Amino acid sequence: MGARWNQRVVAGTAVGVAAVLASWLGVGTARAATALSIAAVVLVVGLVLVSSSEFRRDHPVIARAAISLVAVDVSLVVTGFFSSTVDSNLAIGAAMSIVLLGLSFLTGSSGQISIGNGAFMGVGAFTVAIWANHHAATPIAVVLILAVVAGALVGLLLGLPATRLRGPYLAGMTLAFAVAFGAVLNLFSTWTGGDSGLQLPSAVNAPAWLVHFFRSGTSSLTTNSVWLVDVTIVTAGIALFFMANLFASRTGRAMRLVRDNDVAAELVGISLPRARVIAFVVSAAYAALGGGLWTLINNAVTPATYGFALSITILSLVVIGGIGTIPGALIGGLIYAFAASVIAWFTAHTGLNPQGNVASQLNGIIFGGLLVLTILFAPTGIAGFVRRRWASWRSR
Amino acid sequence: MSSVLTSRNVADVLGGITNGVIYSLVALSLVLVWRSTRILNFAQGAMAMIAAYIGFAVLAPSTNYWVSMAVAIIAGLALGGLTERVIVRGLYGKPEINPVVAMVGFLLVLESVAAAIWSTTSRGLPTPFSIVDWQINHKPVALSPFALYEIVTAVVVMTVIALLFQFTKLGLKLRAAALAPEVSRLLGVRVGRMLTLGWMLSSGVGAVTAVLVASNYFTGLTPTTMDGVFAFGFIAAAIGGLDSPVGALVSGVSLGIILQFVGDYLNSNDIILVALGMLIVSLMVRPNGVFTRSAQRRV
Repeated sequence: MGARWNQRVVAGTAVGVAAVLASWLGVGTARAATALSIAAVVLVVGLVLVSSSEFRRDHPVIARAAISLVAVDVSLVVTGFFSSTVDSNLAIGAAMSIVLLGLSFLTGSSGQISIGNGAFMGVGAFTVAIWANHHAATPIAVVLILAVVAGALVGLLLGLPATRLRGPYLAGMTLAFAVAFGAVLNLFSTWTGGDSGLQLPSAVNAPAWLVHFFRSGTSSLTTNSVWLVDVTIVTAGIALFFMANLFASRTGRAMRLVRDNDVAAELVGISLPRARVIAFVVSAAYAALGGGLWTLINNAVTPATYGFALSITILSLVVIGGIGTIPGALIGGLIYAFAASVIAWFTAHTGLNPQGNVASQLNGIIFGGLLVLTILFAPTGIAGFVRRRWASWRSR
Repeated sequence: MSSVLTSRNVADVLGGITNGVIYSLVALSLVLVWRSTRILNFAQGAMAMIAAYIGFAVLAPSTNYWVSMAVAIIAGLALGGLTERVIVRGLYGKPEINPVVAMVGFLLVLESVAAAIWSTTSRGLPTPFSIVDWQINHKPVALSPFALYEIVTAVVVMTVIALLFQFTKLGLKLRAAALAPEVSRLLGVRVGRMLTLGWMLSSGVGAVTAVLVASNYFTGLTPTTMDGVFAFGFIAAAIGGLDSPVGALVSGVSLGIILQFVGDYLNSNDIILVALGMLIVSLMVRPNGVFTRSAQRRV
């Protein structure tokens, strides 16, 4: 903690004070100003902590918490300035990035692959919907934890046979699960509502204090449903924090060894089946959490959403974003949030008939094409590409 | 005698065989590629679907069935070779998830392109033979001329492939290139060409399969016609062992018969569930397939 550290603290305090003053002077209501001030202070403190490499080395867990907190903080403030459509897209994307974190861990750390994570999302989505239909008063946090547990259990069920399988066989088995998922739902159609799915009994209402605290002053965001954007972002932040620790933990290192050389991993005493099952269960639980959030955001769930196509989309987002990296999962989530808008914009500006065959298939053509090109020419995805460029730029 | 032939169980067996040969063909197509290049071709069904569209949608509807079939097969061969040269070539020696991802991406591209060009509306394909079941004493046997044609075609395709691999010099080269690429190269086999040829053959088999599927099933030809068939074909191949052509045939037909009984005695929703259960159990007991002799893996 030398002179540079002190400089950072001084500079950070100055910026923080300035930001607090600015938000009190610039924003109308006292509540909104309080919210913005808190956000600014969190941002500054977080950035000061994270910018120090000694701090990152000595207190890695706190540093990761700070990064997650800053990410959540910035996202929450930023959503205040967007329209509710953009916000709900962001929420859908944030939930997706949770799913991507899970698959990124499975594939990037343990070297396994799953083409069935769309179905695991469905497990979470239906858990939330079914539970909410029977116990409407349960707090959202509890329902989401139930979704995670359900996803983990199904993941365990499929993960056990998966321990003996390698690459393509495992991919095929998860694919078969994705294809069969609709039939599984049909089997329990009295619970799952068959083809039409389930509606949530009533729109999930925000606790009053939350509405008052965060949203007073930003009129477009005071509606009850949009507070779920914040819930999703906070949940994604927590998921991000846990995943960052998991990646860096002993388990995470063991998994990477399993991926790179499973024989060596066994020789140093890592249990291969155990490592593989853990990775599979974690990825399924993360997928279920994302699916559960989707149900809350959409207020409903249909089996068609969780078909084979979703599983492929998840895989492409992970690969395009950057497999096995946390930034890659976040990039993938952002891509998912805005892909539909970008494609609609593209369609409108190229004069394609928006109802035509070509326009409706652009999504698949672009994602599929990018997937093939990425794996052939930049297998580490956007995150890996940027990281390499950054490294070569710094070493110059 | 006639009452036996028209009984429910015999009907299930016959219907099961008709479906099963299709699964066998898909499995065979997967095995051909797996043996030569160690890649599980997730785009197999989509490539076959494209070939079927080229044979039956690009040509005028009035074109003779056999001409269309021939064009589909040629398109299949070409598509297979092209895929190996353009996409698969860059994947050899990479981590084993790379080819899986690439082929899934290719699947997505092919299905989207097909839907963009030919729309997702189903089109019925002509059938060269009647699809009405034969009758004995005014009771239907669960076998139509078309179903018989399907079975015969599958047997012919399998026989041709088997003869090619076992009794021709080209087949010997193909097997050598797959089993010992380095040695074969030293002995003057053009290994690269052999791998391309393996993909072409696989894709050609796929084209025949897709045409049979699209003219027999209620679905007709759509960009996603082959999805379900591919899933069952993969399950058959995985149970039989991706290394074993014989395993592919046996488990394909067995799977077809078992699932026909499941659909008849339980209900059609359970078919895919039972198939998934069989896959999981089989992979737990024999991860490399029932018909694969050695479970060795290169370290």
